[in-house]
Amino acid sequence: MASPYTQPARGIRKSSAIIDVAAAATPENLYLQSAAGQNARTVILRKVYIWNNTGANAQVQIGQGPLPALGALYPVFYALNGFDNQWTEDEIPEVEVNANLVVQSDVLGVHVQVEVEEIE
Amino acid sequence: MDLYPFKPGPIEPVALPGHTVGIWQKKNYVFAEVLYVEGVPRSDPIEIDLGAIAAGGTSAIAQTTALSLPDDEFGQFRCFVVDDICAMLWQARPDGRYKLRTRNGRVTRWTELKDPCGHTTEFYVYEQDDAFHQALNPTAYALTQSRVAFYGFRYVIQEYAPERYRWPDVLPPQWTRIPATAHL
Repeated sequence: MASPYTQPARGIRKSSAIIDVAAAATPENLYLQSAAGQNARTVILRKVYIWNNTGANAQVQIGQGPLPALGALYPVFYALNGFDNQWTEDEIPEVEVNANLVVQSDVLGVHVQVEVEEIE
Repeated sequence: MDLYPFKPGPIEPVALPGHTVGIWQKKNYVFAEVLYVEGVPRSDPIEIDLGAIAAGGTSAIAQTTALSLPDDEFGQFRCFVVDDICAMLWQARPDGRYKLRTRNGRVTRWTELKDPCGHTTEFYVYEQDDAFHQALNPTAYALTQSRVAFYGFRYVIQEYAPERYRWPDVLPPQWTRIPATAHL
């Protein structure tokens, strides 16, 4: 059920590329900000998909860049091994970000994809 | 009857057969009677593709011949972007539309979000004085297509002889202004 606090759409929905986390505990770009227009667009993280078949449970952190930094924006996503882990917008704090989204995991090989609402 | 350019709501003709229009063209109003009106539905042939654009790049400025009209006709069009681009309009080629003092408006995916009927995107084309379009890719990834879609109406007209009506001193009693170029 939709949250009674859900706001009307302010932007358009887009998905990131699928990121195969290349190194443990190392931030990498997840969604690059669209910044070539008159003003840089902001994004709100709406959905997270994490597929973990690494053999170990993983803690995945999504935050804001730019690399090599990761500024934490959300609670850590705990991705169970062998599961298709998904979070939808009612479960994700509505944080508007004016930067690239970056991701890191304590286990390499986790696959991460997000859907964002991009706002102009 | 309230028929006028940029009317909010679903697109309507700005004039009907028998009505008089004044088409602003080359810093002069061309006065004409409307003989016939026909719809131009939003459809693939009336859509342009400004091509692949690198991340943050712009396309070439393209003559929008898809909206070109025969002699003694003008068109009324609204538009929206299909891909995530910022579309810019020129009429004539060096003269940007949606114009303010220091900036020009652009049509983006957000235009449709806030103006679903597209009335703020409306523009007019007179005969073969074509519009020109250019697209900016505001994103951090390359686009393979940059499409702009149009819909509206075409009008067949018959110009009045200059002895009858001429700008600016002998004007029709009632007429609709058609801004086919920017009013500089």
